[in-house]
Amino acid sequence: MLEIELQSEQLILDPEKAIYWPRRKVLLLADLHLGKAEHFRREGLPVPMAIRTRNLERIAGLLKKYNPERVLFLGDLFHSLHNHSWTVFCDFLKPRKNISFELVIGNHDVLTDADYQQAGLILHEEPYLQFPFILSHHPQEEMLEGYYNLYGHIHPCVYLAGSGKQYMRLPCFHFGAYHGVLPAFGEFTGMAKMETLDGDRVYIAVEDIVKEVSF
Amino acid sequence: MNAPTGSGKTYSLMIPILLEFLQQTSVDDPEAKNNGLQVIWITPIRALAKEIKNAGTRAAKALGLNWEFGIRSGDTKASARTKQKKKPPEVLITTPESLHLLLASAEYSKFFKNLKTVVIDEWHELIGTKRGVQIELALSRLRGKCPSLKTWGISATIGNMEEAVEVLLGPDYKKGNWEIIRSKLKKKIVIETVLPDEIERFPWSGHLGITLLPKVLPLIYQSKTTLIFTNTRAQCEIWYQRLLEADGDLAGQIAMHHGSISRELRNWVEESLHTEQLKAVVCTSSLDLGVDFRPVETIVQIGSPKGVARFMQRAGRSGHQPGATSRIHFVPTNSLELIEASALRTAIKNQDLEARYPYIRSFDVLAQYLVTLATSEGFEPVSTLAEIRTTYAFNSVTDEEWNWLINFITTGGPSMDAYEDMRRVGFHTGLYRIMNKHMATRQRLSMGTIVGNSSMKVKYLRGGKIGQVEEWFISQVKPGETFWFAGRSLELLHIRGMDVIVKKSKKKRGKIPSWQGGRLPLSSQLSEELRKKVALLSRGKYPDAELKKLKPLTDLQAHRSLVPNENELLIEYFKSREGFHLLVYPFEGRAVHQGISTLMAWRISQLQPISFTIAMNDYGFELLSDTEIPIDTALKNDVFSTVNLTQDIQSSVNSVEMAMRQFREIAAISGLVFKGYPTKQKRIKHLQSSAELFFKAFAEYEPDNLLLLQAYEEVMSFQLEEVRLRTALRRIERQEIKLMRPPKATPFSFPIIVDRLRERLSSEKLQDRIDKMRLQLVR
Repeated sequence: MLEIELQSEQLILDPEKAIYWPRRKVLLLADLHLGKAEHFRREGLPVPMAIRTRNLERIAGLLKKYNPERVLFLGDLFHSLHNHSWTVFCDFLKPRKNISFELVIGNHDVLTDADYQQAGLILHEEPYLQFPFILSHHPQEEMLEGYYNLYGHIHPCVYLAGSGKQYMRLPCFHFGAYHGVLPAFGEFTGMAKMETLDGDRVYIAVEDIVKEVSF
Repeated sequence: MNAPTGSGKTYSLMIPILLEFLQQTSVDDPEAKNNGLQVIWITPIRALAKEIKNAGTRAAKALGLNWEFGIRSGDTKASARTKQKKKPPEVLITTPESLHLLLASAEYSKFFKNLKTVVIDEWHELIGTKRGVQIELALSRLRGKCPSLKTWGISATIGNMEEAVEVLLGPDYKKGNWEIIRSKLKKKIVIETVLPDEIERFPWSGHLGITLLPKVLPLIYQSKTTLIFTNTRAQCEIWYQRLLEADGDLAGQIAMHHGSISRELRNWVEESLHTEQLKAVVCTSSLDLGVDFRPVETIVQIGSPKGVARFMQRAGRSGHQPGATSRIHFVPTNSLELIEASALRTAIKNQDLEARYPYIRSFDVLAQYLVTLATSEGFEPVSTLAEIRTTYAFNSVTDEEWNWLINFITTGGPSMDAYEDMRRVGFHTGLYRIMNKHMATRQRLSMGTIVGNSSMKVKYLRGGKIGQVEEWFISQVKPGETFWFAGRSLELLHIRGMDVIVKKSKKKRGKIPSWQGGRLPLSSQLSEELRKKVALLSRGKYPDAELKKLKPLTDLQAHRSLVPNENELLIEYFKSREGFHLLVYPFEGRAVHQGISTLMAWRISQLQPISFTIAMNDYGFELLSDTEIPIDTALKNDVFSTVNLTQDIQSSVNSVEMAMRQFREIAAISGLVFKGYPTKQKRIKHLQSSAELFFKAFAEYEPDNLLLLQAYEEVMSFQLEEVRLRTALRRIERQEIKLMRPPKATPFSFPIIVDRLRERLSSEKLQDRIDKMRLQLVR
């Protein structure tokens, strides 16, 4: 993991593709897309179900590591319409009543209010202000003095170039002047290339490290 | 039937088929109509279907038969299809994909009830591709329904004719009731090499060949029509532009044709060639098959075609009539290609043609086939397994593999709980069937879809399609800048999604795109002939004009290093400012060199920590390092040994990346990813994924997934040409190693060294590798 300073706050970037905010004891995760494997299978596409287990194991690992008071999902928590994986997720949350699980609504979050209640999730519309951060799923166009926007939705990656025609695509944390995007947490999620501008800070998450990339 | 192009092969089969019908039906009413489907004629190209239909219609009319000839392909309208089902034509001309779609339609058994004959046209083109496997499966089902079905194949000559027969005939092959009919017509082919004036001034490396463009112009002027074949699309674009620069009068008289140009533009070029409105067309293999247009007078081949059969086929485009001489002009793009010209001539004389090796155990195609059957009438497992085991591709399928496949299409592998049962194919009254209508529709729509690279469509503002370029190329062009594509100077207006909107520009210069297609490697037939020519050179023999021209070069090579004979393997080791160069010359083609070079690099790195960059061409490869390379130790340690070959290759080559690339096609064919149909339904929109996602998921959670294993298999057999690699290493084991230490780069080494396509190999860990890479800036 890597400690960085953003908008005068200490943040920890975790290679499991999460951000921990020690001062407020908040764990930030984006784009889990839980239930995606099951959604595909129901439509006839054989995605391995072990993906569900892996996702939950990784969340459990992060909870154990950081002991947060709150977990904020920056959108796209569940992939599509309701399926059994939601119930499994609710069962996962049940014994963890000491933590507040909250969701900033994203475009894939189409479950019913009853479903969210079943999980005990607190819902937030975007933008959700938690000074000095504007938390959202989509990048916010309107900025506020003194605030920095953290969002998801993009599933960002960067291309690293080697000699010859080699290149690698790696998920990353991508911080610009006023906006920063988290990598997608979920297993079996795609990636999209981020445009990198001068002054951006880019951190790739690979294996068990987070590393700044210079350019 | 073994017949080259332009030999009247269509009639040679069509007439006997019609005559047989006349013989077999009662003489009462030869003019009977609506006799049901009698013949299926499969052709891989839609464009040829029309020609076949015309020929058939003419023949039937002349024989007094009231036969209907119908075409069924991707272009056939829905209304025409329904009509065909209701009132089947006697002869259905169709493509492999459309034949599969027929198997996916309801009541296909009724449709095929009267089928007597199947003709597979251009079989040499289909065998050695997955479409060939599709045909084998379709034939197995048709034979199941019509046990006395007669099968005809039409094929140009390939190196493995009998195997081609075996693959096509399935179980009938062993019965021995088959025959190969060969045309007695010998096609004479004359190769004329365009020689450079002074070999000293001729480039040692490169593959564009522009140096000899002034000598190509007279060829164009002298002929009514000329086809200029290039090996890559970028080369095609460059040659077209340079020809226009050399002679502005050619504007309007020449055109270009390649795979990334839109269908509309290509059709225009084909039509114009047919009506002799064009003087010359610069093209790639896109015009190897296609409209059987009138014979072209002159054929020019820029750069080595890398294969004998391909070269002969192109030559055959001239002098199309039976008995005429085919003439082809070869334009070398660098000095060493003159050896290839000489090798080509000998190989053609000896009729040493490449084999087309059939795909076997392509589980992606089999999965697609089973789901196809499930979409329509369903399939009974026991008899279907027996049926597919009659095919060449799947006669070795084990019960375990069959069960895995059934699982794959029904339950999708191990499930976690009863709730998320996968619903694709279900089991009902003894048959595997898709019960769900929308699933069936999706299956029919996704069949035949091939997922492409990240290509972007280039269009005019008003929508006219020009073609496709790759994303990485466009990312280098700013709005307002000009680039050349499809022979047009275009100004980039803006990008909308995957569409690149352009308008015509008057600027003369601009970036020219290239495509990540990769060049074809030298075939094993040609490389064998090449080694023989090099051996002649080593003995100071120059039996033809091409080799004679090379004398100054080979003298220099002999002086600085060595020209090897067939019993020697040349290795050169020298130091330069760049570092330590190790060059090895197996002369076995780029694909094999990739395998041997990474194998060698890896084996050396096991002796001491070292990293290399690797470069290669069809003649040899280079390992470049910034430290001394322990070549003597490596040789003592049998660096070329075939012992442990498979494991060492797996360890050395970046097989994961290669397999991932291979998996793209597999994922598309087996239906894991599809270019979804337009729908507002969230449920379906949420099914977007990629081959890469599935690959990673299977690699992580289902390592014995048959499709994953297939990807690795295909890397070994096709990308690395495992069999050929092994043969090359065994040959090297018998050769004497000649380790030379030249003072500087030699003529043989030069083209490899300057080739900018280098790969890095090291036994470094992933994180160290990343440390050395830079972030690619995309603005």
